[in-house]
Amino acid sequence: MGIITEKLPCYIEPIPGGSLLLTSMDAVINWSRANSLWPLTFGTSCCAIEMMMATGAPRHDTSRFGAEVARPSPRQADLLVIAGTIVRRMAPRLKTLYEQMGEPRYVMATGSCAISGGPFMYNSYSTIRGADEIIPVDVYVPGCPPRAEAFFYGLLTLQKLIKEGESVRRPGERRKPVLSALPPGITLDQIRAEMAAVLKSDATVNVEQAAKKLEKESQDGQCESADGCCCSRT
Amino acid sequence: MDSANLLTAVAAAEPNAKPREKADRAAVQVPVGNLSALMKRLRNDSTFAFDMLCDHTAVDWSEQGTFELVYQLYSTVHGHYLMVTTSVPRVSPIVPTVREFWRIAEFQEREVYDMFGVLYDGHPDLRRLFLEDDWKGFPLRKDYTDDFMLERPE
Ligand code: SF4
Repeated sequence: MGIITEKLPCYIEPIPGGSLLLTSMDAVINWSRANSLWPLTFGTSCCAIEMMMATGAPRHDTSRFGAEVARPSPRQADLLVIAGTIVRRMAPRLKTLYEQMGEPRYVMATGSCAISGGPFMYNSYSTIRGADEIIPVDVYVPGCPPRAEAFFYGLLTLQKLIKEGESVRRPGERRKPVLSALPPGITLDQIRAEMAAVLKSDATVNVEQAAKKLEKESQDGQCESADGCCCSRT
Repeated sequence: MDSANLLTAVAAAEPNAKPREKADRAAVQVPVGNLSALMKRLRNDSTFAFDMLCDHTAVDWSEQGTFELVYQLYSTVHGHYLMVTTSVPRVSPIVPTVREFWRIAEFQEREVYDMFGVLYDGHPDLRRLFLEDDWKGFPLRKDYTDDFMLERPE
């Protein structure tokens, strides 16, 4: 990558129409960078568990998005996920880790702690109020901790940022991607209505009915459900 | 031993130890002057045989002007637990070390020193454990403030 990013522009620039070729080179390079992110195995507290869920566990499986090779060495990684609280004692080490990573490097801050200090923002002698006080952050993923889905949204956002953002001519300069666009043919109200329906159906439990059902079951000694049952009662 | 028997036995061994009410497990409070003798007995007496110091920490009762030091003991021989507490004044928090009975106390006492500034008499190496060596003050004291801290707006 070093040869391409550092040498290529000066080789190509003298060629007439070089800028066109460069634009497509940008696209190719950014596309390949975006789809082969190597996260650093770095987690400082509870959010790290969620990050492990998102990156390590087969249920969520980051390899679908081309970012599964978590590396324990910063020299082999290009994505730093700040998962968890950063305390004053950790801050210099975090900076060192960031500086050890090869360019181009990307930073995702997951969880309120990494964004602003979160629950430890006030009256804390140790917690840094936001990782961006120490190193530049590209993408913030809110939550305490963020769900794996949110983590992926952050990752996809980062990929979008990489694809749109950087040019080999201006390394380090990134443009924030446009995220607010909705898929065509869908309105915000539709999404709201759907969310409300899901929440309502998920959140209502009729305690009386459930109690009655349990009572009946214990009298009959048998479950009502027709479609098989996990309990051993017969 | 169950808690009632344990409390009776501790009371017999150390008359100054008062059982604490409203405790989930057997718990006694001793004056700081009797702490060392009681701990030695608890460690070495075969009826107690508390060979493990699970945890040692402190509570800052700033209104009463005391630090309460808490020792959680466990016996792997008998399987019983005991909590021993003692109070020292906030202005001169000096307490004898229990390191000679449990080696792990060396680190636990360093932690309490680091956070509360309790001084352990006889500790061989009383340095900060978690914070930087040049840190000023003891952050888990209720009245601790520094320039970095952000006060919560009302
Ligand atoms: S944001 Fe919440 S879950 Fe994440 S590290 Fe902070 S306290 Fe833990």
